[in-house]
Order: sequence, then structure tokens, then C-alpha cells
Amino acid sequence: MSFLHINNVHKRFGETHVLKGIDISIEQGDFLVLVGPSGCGKSTLLNMIAGLDSISEGELLLDGRCINDVHPSRRDIAMVFQSYALYPSMTVAGNIGFGLEMRKVPRKERREAVDRVAKLLQIENLLDRKPGQLSGGQRQRVAMGRALVRDPQLFLFDEPLSNLDAKLRVDMRTEIKQLHQRLGTTIVYVTHDQIEAMTLASRIAVMRGGELQQLGTPQAVYDDPNNLFVAGFMGSPSMNLIEARIVERDGVPVAQAIAGDTTLTLPIVRDRQALRDWCDRDVIIGLRPEAITDPASANHREGNIHEAELPVELVEPTGADLYVVTSLGGAHINARMRPGTPLRPGERARFAFDVSRMVVFDPETEGRIRDERTADVGDVLETA
Amino acid sequence: MSAASPTVRQGAATRAILYAILLVFAVIYLLPLYVMLTTSFKTLDEIHQGNMLALPGEWTFAPWREAWGSACIGLECEGVHGYFFNSIKIVIPAVLISGLLGAFNGYVLTKWKFRGHKIVFGLILFSCFIPFQIILLPMARMLGILHLANSTWGLVLVHIVYGIGFTTLFFRNFYASFPDELVRAAQLDGAGFFVIFFRILLPASIPIIVVTIIWQFTNVWNDFLFGVSFASGDSAPITVALNNLVNSSTGVKAYNVNMAAAMVAAVPTLIVYILAGKYFLRGLMSGSVKG
Repeated sequence: MSFLHINNVHKRFGETHVLKGIDISIEQGDFLVLVGPSGCGKSTLLNMIAGLDSISEGELLLDGRCINDVHPSRRDIAMVFQSYALYPSMTVAGNIGFGLEMRKVPRKERREAVDRVAKLLQIENLLDRKPGQLSGGQRQRVAMGRALVRDPQLFLFDEPLSNLDAKLRVDMRTEIKQLHQRLGTTIVYVTHDQIEAMTLASRIAVMRGGELQQLGTPQAVYDDPNNLFVAGFMGSPSMNLIEARIVERDGVPVAQAIAGDTTLTLPIVRDRQALRDWCDRDVIIGLRPEAITDPASANHREGNIHEAELPVELVEPTGADLYVVTSLGGAHINARMRPGTPLRPGERARFAFDVSRMVVFDPETEGRIRDERTADVGDVLETA
Repeated sequence: MSAASPTVRQGAATRAILYAILLVFAVIYLLPLYVMLTTSFKTLDEIHQGNMLALPGEWTFAPWREAWGSACIGLECEGVHGYFFNSIKIVIPAVLISGLLGAFNGYVLTKWKFRGHKIVFGLILFSCFIPFQIILLPMARMLGILHLANSTWGLVLVHIVYGIGFTTLFFRNFYASFPDELVRAAQLDGAGFFVIFFRILLPASIPIIVVTIIWQFTNVWNDFLFGVSFASGDSAPITVALNNLVNSSTGVKAYNVNMAAAMVAAVPTLIVYILAGKYFLRGLMSGSVKG
């Protein structure tokens, strides 16, 4: 039995169907990140777990107990809000201790618990201040302290870092991850930032339009996306999606894409069984920028490298990497190369394609074309 | 620099004219108050000499003492002090209860919305537009049924009922911009309906509480129509007593006593403005949510 079980949960606001049957299960100690573009229903789902929104249909189980009709305060859940929601007229200590006070914890114990959490979050010197006197990062810590002090079964985070500036956001991200590792708590975290999702999660649930697109480990979601949406949403710069055609060559399927006046032929390694049925049909192939590189940086040992010469259109150095833009299948594609690779726009260069990382999509349904093992595109991919 | 100076000079000139006009209006506005104050400190002889704008030649506090303790209102010659305390007895419960009810209404109408909450608010708001005169007869009948006619408690009830519309409007609009997330956070922390109101919302409502107190205090204290209609004799508020005092002077009109009594009637509202005014601008919401 899983720790948190979201079983076919629906949400309707009048006529609008916001959540269309969500199924998610996580184990104790998991860090589940709900990620998706705004309006995908991730915050609604979080509010339903918290008990702040009612459940139209389906079932929520926490540690084997159905919590559909349990009052928010009795669910043993704490939540960190996007706006922090600190009580303006109380001190930091009052804010952190309020939940304990409501649960009739004696003053002395309360004081000890507040001190312990304040020490953990390094806000001991702020305990007597009012929220108005704190910086954004400090308010963030107080909001986390208010959740931590109650030591609940489940923590909910609703886009907690979206109000912080870029640098602080990265710092706090690290701290949240450290906190999770140290305390081993179970967390459900909502964000629209796929980098936050990748770095924090032990499980990612990608949502769109009230439907779950994929549930899996960050690596599984990244390397083995269920559909075009997941492929395009996760990763920055995003996955190259190239129009191509599957043809049979020497009895095996290969993918052909138009590259200027020639045709690039890429051998197919993954999902070969399924792709046999797609001969002479158009598909979309997906390759991460790091799967297209210069021959010297290519991973010849593990990867299945296929080299080709293509024109360089644009060179974008980022310091750590060099992104080289070329065109393939009528679209611009990004290749990640070693910095300092001597390339200039207009030249032709050799690109190394790691075809073992290539994924193929059906342009009609936008679903993945996969071998039998997980052939059903709509299915949630389960990865240990 | 030289190019800028004509506009600077022009700006200064406009400003000077503006201030001059404002000053003139301020003087016109303050003149009656000045006359009231100076007259109340003059002897009757000095008043009869004319020259209304002159300062008292001989300062005397006798008119104030008389107005407070021995001026004749009707047949009784005990001054206005009894009526002053009547007004206090009316205004304090009326302001507190109507304010508290308005705050509760605002809280429920914004944070515990129910089906039809907009209609309920609309109806409450509608009461703000009902003129005093229209409800005089039905209200008199109602007070009779409740055995509250001719009593200060009757007036308290009238002012509470009449004030709820305004206090609800103030608090509802204030709480509409109060972040819902705070209420949700408090719910998760285990706080109930009343705890959320008294511990979270009310302490953050100082600015609107001050507005409500000033508004309600001024209205209730300065009310004459309800006072004269529903409370006569000993239970009348000071506004009614002042009217009776001015009307019941026999023989020579004691202008100085009248002015002193009028000042007594006006001072509490002035004090409320002076004490509470500075809280108007104080925003206590900073820091609860982002930015």
C-alpha cells in the first residue's frame, strides 16, 4: 500500500472539468513534484490534498486512511503557500507556534519546538520580528518553519520559490532538497519550473489540461517521455523535435530527415519493433541537444554514434557549453558542443548523433511510438 | 538654468495663488468656530457691546460652568451634563456593536462565501440609501413593541440597525483585499471560524476599524432626528438638549452659555478625529504576503 494514493480524482467547477481522473501513488519519503503549465490543475490538486478544495469524484488515501471528508486541520498535513501567508500581526515565533497553540500544546513545549525549528532554519535571531520586517528569503524560511514545527505526515508546497529572485531561488531550492534528505519527509511540491522539478523530485508528475501526462523518476521523464508535450516541456533548452520519415533499409527501419539539399539517415536503435510498422510513414523524432554534439565529445563507449556533416547556422556560447544551431527536417535544431569548438556560421561541421537516445513520436496523436513493453501511449510510465 | 527659471517662477506663482485661496476658505470655515469659542468666554455685557470678532476683554469660565451644571433646559436647571452622558451611553455601545457586527458581516461575506452572498450584501448595502425620515414611524412602532421607547437603549438599537449597512460596507471592502491564503493557512493550522476572525483578521484591520469608529461616532453623536423622535426628556442625547437649551432661555438670550454648550456638544467628535486620525494612514498589512 502506498503512502499517498490519489485514486481517479476529478474536480469540476460547475461546467468546467478541471481535473479529469488523476491517479498518482507515492511512497513514504518520496518528493513528488507536480509540474505543468499554468492552468493544468496542479494547484487545484494540491488544494484538494490539503482539504481546501472539495473532491468531486475519486478518493484520496493518506497512509491507508481515506481523507476525502477529513477537515484540513485533522489531515496531519502542513502547507507552504506561494505568498507565504504569514499572519501579519504576529511575530515570527507566534507565526511558527500558531499551529501548535491551536492544538493546545503547552507553552513550554511550544517554545522548545519553535526554537528547534528556528535553529534548523537559521532564523533564531528573527523570532521577535513581525513579517513586515523580513526579506523575501526570510519570509520563505518562516513559512517553512510554520509547516515543519508541526511535524506532519505530509508537506505540501505551492510554488514556494516563485516570489524569490533568481539567485535566492537556487539557494532555497538547495536548502529544500537538503531538508528533505535530512528529515526524510514526504513532500508534494507544485511548480511550473521544470528545472525545479528535475532537481528536487524523486517522482515527477507532468500535468496538462487536467490530465496526468506522465509519472516517473526525473530521469525517466527526461529520457523516456510519454508524448510530445512531456518531451517539449521538460529540459532546457528543450528537446529537438524533427520531422522525419521511417523507411526500410537492409531489412531494418531507419529515420530520414531533410537536411538542406541532402537527406540525413539515422539508424534506429530504440523501439525498433514498434517502428517496423511505421515504414514509409511520417514521424517526429526527438533528440536532446546533448545527444547531438561534436565527434570528439560524443560518448562512443555507451552511445550509438552516427556522424553527419551539416551547415552551421548560429553559434551560441554559454560559457559551460556551446550551442550550435543547424537545420534539420525544416526546423532549427540545437546541438550541445564542447566550448571552444572552432565553428563559425556558414561553415559545414561534423555532428555526432547519439541515436541510442532518439525517441520517436506519432505526429497525429503526439504519442510516443514504443516497443511492446510500454506500448500504450496513454499509460502512465512506471519506473522504479 | 535660465531656460528653466520662467517655469519655476510660474510654478511658484501658481502655488502662491493656490495657497492664498485655500487660506481664505480656511478662514471662512474656521470663523464660526472662532466666534463660538470667543463668545463662550465673554460676559453677557461684553457680548451686548457688539464687536463679535474681538477677543474677550475679560476671560470668564462662568458660561461653561453654567452650561455644564446649571443652565435651564425646559423646567430643570441642571445644565447639559446629564445629556452629555446620555450621548456617551448611546454612542459607545452603538459604535462598538455596529462595528463588530459589520466586521463579522464583512468577514463572512468575503471569507466564508455562501450561495447568494452577493444578494445579501446588496440588501445590506441598500440600507445605506434609506433616508432617516422614511423609517421614523415604523421604527417608533417597533420601539414601542420592544418597550424601548423613550430610552437610551432604544436609540442604541436604532443606531446599530442604521449603522450596520455602512460598517458592513467598510469591512467587506477591506476584507475583500485581505489575502484568502491567510485564512487557508490558519485553517490548516487548526484555527476555527472565530479564532481566524479574532486572531488573524481583526488585528490586521486597525485602519478600517479607525475609519468605522470615526464614521459611526460622528453620525451617532451628531444625530438629532432620531434623538428628538425616539428619546425625549431625561433620556435625550446632547444634540436634543442643546436645541432645548437654546429654545428655553427666558428673557435675555445667554449667548455665551449657548456657545459653551454647543462647544461641549462638539468636543467629543473633535477628540475622536484628533486621536484616531493618525491611524488612518497606517498600513498594518505590510509583509503578510509578497511585496
